[in-house]
Amino acid sequence: MTTKTSLLKVILLGDGGVGKSSIMNRYVTNKFDAHLFHTIGVEFLNKDLEVDGRQVTLQIWDTAGQERFRSLRTPFYRGSDCCLLTFSVDDNQSFLNLGNWKKEFIYYADVKEPEKFPFVVLGNKVDVTERQVSSEEAQQWCQENGDYPYYETSAKDATNVAVAFEEAVRRVLAMEERTDHLIPTDTVKLHRKPRSAATCCS
Amino acid sequence: MVHVYNCHPFTSQHIVQVEQEPGLVCCGGGALFVVATGGCKVEAYSLEKEGCPLICRFATMGTVRSIRHSNIGDYLVTIEEKNSATYLRAYTNWRYQAEEKARVGVRLLGHLLGGASMSGGVQMEIIEIPLSERPVAVACCSVTGDLLVGCETTLVLFTLRRQNQQNLQNQSQQNPQSPWPNTQQIFSQSQGQTSNTNLSILDFERSVILHIPKMTPRQVALCGGYVAVQAELEVLVLKLEATLEPKTLKETSDTEKSADYLEDQVDFLLIPRHQELLGDRAKDCDIPVSIEKTGLVDRGQYTLSYVLFRRFSPEFFQGCSVEEMQLHSLQLYPLFTSNQPVSLEEPSCMFCFFSLPNAGYLYSLKGGVELLSTYQYPEKVLEAVLTDHLLHVITKSALQCFTVRCAAVAARIEDPYIDTTMKACPPSSLEVCALRMQLFIGLRSVCVYGCHVILLSAADTETPDETERTTQRRGLELKEHTKLTGIFLAVGIDPATTPALESLLSRPFLSRKWTISSPKETSSAGHGWNLYVVDTVPPLALYQEMVEYSQRYTETNPQAQSLRHLLSEAHLLLRASLLQKQDQRPIREGGPAVSLQAGSGSGPARKNTVDRHEVEEALRQNCAQLGDCFSRGSQKDCHLALPYYRMSGLSVTEVMARNRPHPGSPHFYGPGFLFYLKHYLLEETDQTLSQESADEVIDIFSQSEPSLLVSVCASPSIVNINPARTLRILQHLEDTVGVSVPLTITMATMMLRLGDMQQYTQLMERHAEMLLVYGFIEESRLLLRGGGTGGGSGQQKQVCPTELAQQLANSQPGLLVAAMVALHENNKVQLEQADHIFKELGCENCLQVDFWEAMLMASSQDAVIQELLFRLVSVYIERLTNSESKLPHAPPKRKSLKSADDLINSCSHFGALYPWLTVLSPCHTTSSQHQEALYKLQSLLCGPSLALGSVAPLLERLSEETLWGFSLHLLCATRRGLYDSSIEKLLDRCPQAIIAFANHHLQDKNMALWWQKLLPELCNRTRAAADNSILLAALKETLVVVAMETSPAEFLELIPDDGTASYFLPHLLTCSQRHLLA
Ligand SMILES: Nc1nc2c(ncn2[C@@H]2O[C@H](COP(=O)(O)OP(=O)(O)OP(=O)(O)O)[C@@H](O)[C@H]2O)c(=O)[nH]1
Ligand SMILES: [Mg+2]
Repeated sequence: MTTKTSLLKVILLGDGGVGKSSIMNRYVTNKFDAHLFHTIGVEFLNKDLEVDGRQVTLQIWDTAGQERFRSLRTPFYRGSDCCLLTFSVDDNQSFLNLGNWKKEFIYYADVKEPEKFPFVVLGNKVDVTERQVSSEEAQQWCQENGDYPYYETSAKDATNVAVAFEEAVRRVLAMEERTDHLIPTDTVKLHRKPRSAATCCS
Repeated sequence: MVHVYNCHPFTSQHIVQVEQEPGLVCCGGGALFVVATGGCKVEAYSLEKEGCPLICRFATMGTVRSIRHSNIGDYLVTIEEKNSATYLRAYTNWRYQAEEKARVGVRLLGHLLGGASMSGGVQMEIIEIPLSERPVAVACCSVTGDLLVGCETTLVLFTLRRQNQQNLQNQSQQNPQSPWPNTQQIFSQSQGQTSNTNLSILDFERSVILHIPKMTPRQVALCGGYVAVQAELEVLVLKLEATLEPKTLKETSDTEKSADYLEDQVDFLLIPRHQELLGDRAKDCDIPVSIEKTGLVDRGQYTLSYVLFRRFSPEFFQGCSVEEMQLHSLQLYPLFTSNQPVSLEEPSCMFCFFSLPNAGYLYSLKGGVELLSTYQYPEKVLEAVLTDHLLHVITKSALQCFTVRCAAVAARIEDPYIDTTMKACPPSSLEVCALRMQLFIGLRSVCVYGCHVILLSAADTETPDETERTTQRRGLELKEHTKLTGIFLAVGIDPATTPALESLLSRPFLSRKWTISSPKETSSAGHGWNLYVVDTVPPLALYQEMVEYSQRYTETNPQAQSLRHLLSEAHLLLRASLLQKQDQRPIREGGPAVSLQAGSGSGPARKNTVDRHEVEEALRQNCAQLGDCFSRGSQKDCHLALPYYRMSGLSVTEVMARNRPHPGSPHFYGPGFLFYLKHYLLEETDQTLSQESADEVIDIFSQSEPSLLVSVCASPSIVNINPARTLRILQHLEDTVGVSVPLTITMATMMLRLGDMQQYTQLMERHAEMLLVYGFIEESRLLLRGGGTGGGSGQQKQVCPTELAQQLANSQPGLLVAAMVALHENNKVQLEQADHIFKELGCENCLQVDFWEAMLMASSQDAVIQELLFRLVSVYIERLTNSESKLPHAPPKRKSLKSADDLINSCSHFGALYPWLTVLSPCHTTSSQHQEALYKLQSLLCGPSLALGSVAPLLERLSEETLWGFSLHLLCATRRGLYDSSIEKLLDRCPQAIIAFANHHLQDKNMALWWQKLLPELCNRTRAAADNSILLAALKETLVVVAMETSPAEFLELIPDDGTASYFLPHLLTCSQRHLLA
């Protein structure tokens, strides 16, 4: 039998310019670009990591935050295992929009039990001195919305980036643990009749 | 019956260094794609580089359940699963994923926006293709790159679209979310490897949905408009055509009707019957299909036709459990030929292959659907892949090859001369054969790219007793080979002793050609799986091995059917590579998992032409051997010796040498060889054999078919025969079979060649001329050399007279002319060819004219008659003018064979001369030559057939000064009915002829001219010259006639006012008396 590798889809949502792409870049390539283009549509990349002794493949989905790209990103919410709601601490509007992002996600991802879905909230750009959103405000929002973990990150100086992703993984795995005995996720058999299972090729 | 030949189709194998256990494998575009089991990662390895290095590695979005590569567009398409949902995705620009950490763009079908690729470099992009049903199977069209998706009850066709980057940027600025309005269809352009300069972005357009509610697709295939679906035990092939006209309603209702009808029936059919419905008849299957169009409105309509339906019933087979009896390996396979009739998009040939565990089926779909071959497998086959040259199949423990017949079909489409006496090709129904197999352990899947066969093997999970059985069967060799590689071994087969395939495994065999390269063998031995790349030998090498192998048959039993079969196999192998090499289009380069191009050396174009040359040479060689085979074989198919020898390029001399019996052996010439030789001697005219060969030809026929000796001797190819020697043989023939006219003439010809005129004359005098003419009809080549003997053939070949014809021209011209006329009337020579003959004989102006005159007597074809009349008129005119001019012009050497009188008496086209002509031109005035020509011409003008219009221009040029010239003009004028002017002219030039003229022509409706024209004319002229006795006599004659024909009152009116009453009175009296009597 093969070692069970989980593929976890984690999606980054939030207003344009809050630093979603920068966070992903920092996490995967450990680089930061001060002049990043706005994302168009949806992009993703995979990262293998070990969390609490478990081998997982993290599939990080970066989306375009700008409103005009809405229709390009929403089809890909489906199948997400975790959603990282991102705002920028130096942009109050991006914080105020968190609720809308959550609603959009739940709607398009077709989440069955929204109350149980693992969201993680990221307040990015903490390296900036002129803050518009306080830590307390953010924490309170998280509390009120479903007790989401909150991380203050900086893609620029790498603060909390890896920690946030690892937390996301933990949340997902914890969720799975609870449902694992109900739905075995890694079985091959779908609608096939038993006799056709022999070989699977090309 | 499946023939088994001990030929080795594989050269080498190596192991691809894969870290994780491969789950799925597919190949295309020079790459091998490996999906790790259960993983979400694809690794691409280069099949074109030594050792298959890793090209790149990229993540997939879900767990891949199925993967395919499209050569057109260089994209991958997958069916993936994530959280129990199934997705269909296309991966484009995957080659740019060299750096694993690069971002991958994702978009929905039709949402064309470059991600980072807009700003930065090229980015890999995943196109998510939403479907309303769960996708089960996918297939890409190797011609267009279109995509076919089989869902649970539908088939969805996606058309590949390509937009170049520049357009896209402009577009996206205006309206980022709309699909491109001006997308273009992708044709044969191969994208990928090197095309970053002109980069374009791919997309798909959902164009048609086919609803097949009664079939559950397991596999699908798409190629050049053909759509194939395979369920557990059914295969349905449809042809989908885009048309601009709206779909006919009738057809739709038809389908529905039959569907309803069958629906009722289905309830009663508990066990599906075995069924095979070809072509149009396939629509009678109980599987209704309906079209739902989804593409843009202006793209026209799609029409659907049924092409093939095959259903197997589960109880139909033995040796395999019912559960295992499932179809697999569905494939549509195109072949292109050099004379592509339609667009590049449409292949000349289309084949469909599918397989059960115990048998594979190959159908040809174009130009009539037919089952080409059935492949009976020795063991349960897991998967099969069809290529140009071979069918590769895997069982759990072996890789085996069978030959294929696609080339036999394609060759016939490419070259219409095949199956004529010009060219041949083994039939597409030729029994297939199996080549030597290669053993492996635990094979799981196979795919093929070019000459590379990729095999995936995995640890045996078979039940213990199954393992045991296998071990027993393989016996010793397995141990032996385990020592060597532990993985595979090769087995030799001797079909002569072991026809049953089961016994393939009875003898160990380690091929000298087999090379193994697995650099890290130890590492690969550690796990239970392996990924092999096994290379097939180049077709030419396999061909050579087959030839080598065939030598054994040649020595032991040259008549054996197996030799013929093996050589035919070898032939088709070469045909296949020639077909494929012609194909220079980039789409086929590296092939959609089909082409068998050997290696990837530098300068492939140059190498190709060298290869091609070699293959062509091999084909000639093979044709020679096949020619030998058929020339010596039995009566059956012996005629094939002719086309094969022709294609071999061998000269007759060479062919004869190959068929020469061994000294001492009681050998006879085969019927095929004699057939070849006969055809050669009858048809070929441009090759003349040496005396030695020519004499040998005579010997061969005198030994095998003496009755043909006469026609053989008449062949221009063997003019160099020794006449004395041949005479002896002919004499012998005459002694045995008796005298015949053609034989006598042939002997006379030989005498002529020997210069023995006395004997020649004696022989020629043995038969009456009439009989000789019949002899010439029987064998026209006694007189004519070259040109087809079988008349009616469209193109005219140049013919020449034989030496006998030359001789006859001098000694028996009448016979020659008679013979030529007879040949013409029997369609053995045409008029122009006859002209050429007489020209060659140097008697254009004499014998040729005699020929024309004789032809006029014999021919009944109106077109020929008019042509001849025209020619003769020209000749006569020429003779008249030439003998008239005092120039020292050579008169015809001889007298004509027929005089004018002869012709008038015997030929209806020559009319009797009008009496007035004799008055006009008395015979003694000119030379007899001249006189003859004049008479013949006048006679033609007096005859019923000559069309005046055609010859008038010739006659008009003649001077009227001479009396004969005048006579001809007058003839023309009277024939035109110009009597008034003719009367005037005749009275001017030759009044003594006027009464003869009037008597002849002024009859019936022209009778009135006597008194309306002639009488006043004569009155006027006599008034002017009252002493002219000729005119007076004429006047008198005229009055007699007028008095006879008019009433007294009329007659009175006619008398001129100044007329002397006494002169006219007697006539008036006669007139009145006659009237009273009446
Ligand atoms: N100072 C600082 N700047 C940051 C940080 N993260 C991102 N930026 C900058 O903010 C800008 C926008 O960042 P992006 O990562 O492109 O933002 P995004 O969320 O991906 O935006 P969209 O793609 O339009 O949705 C860029 O110029 C980044 O350099 C951070 O942690 N600190
Ligand atoms: Mg971004």
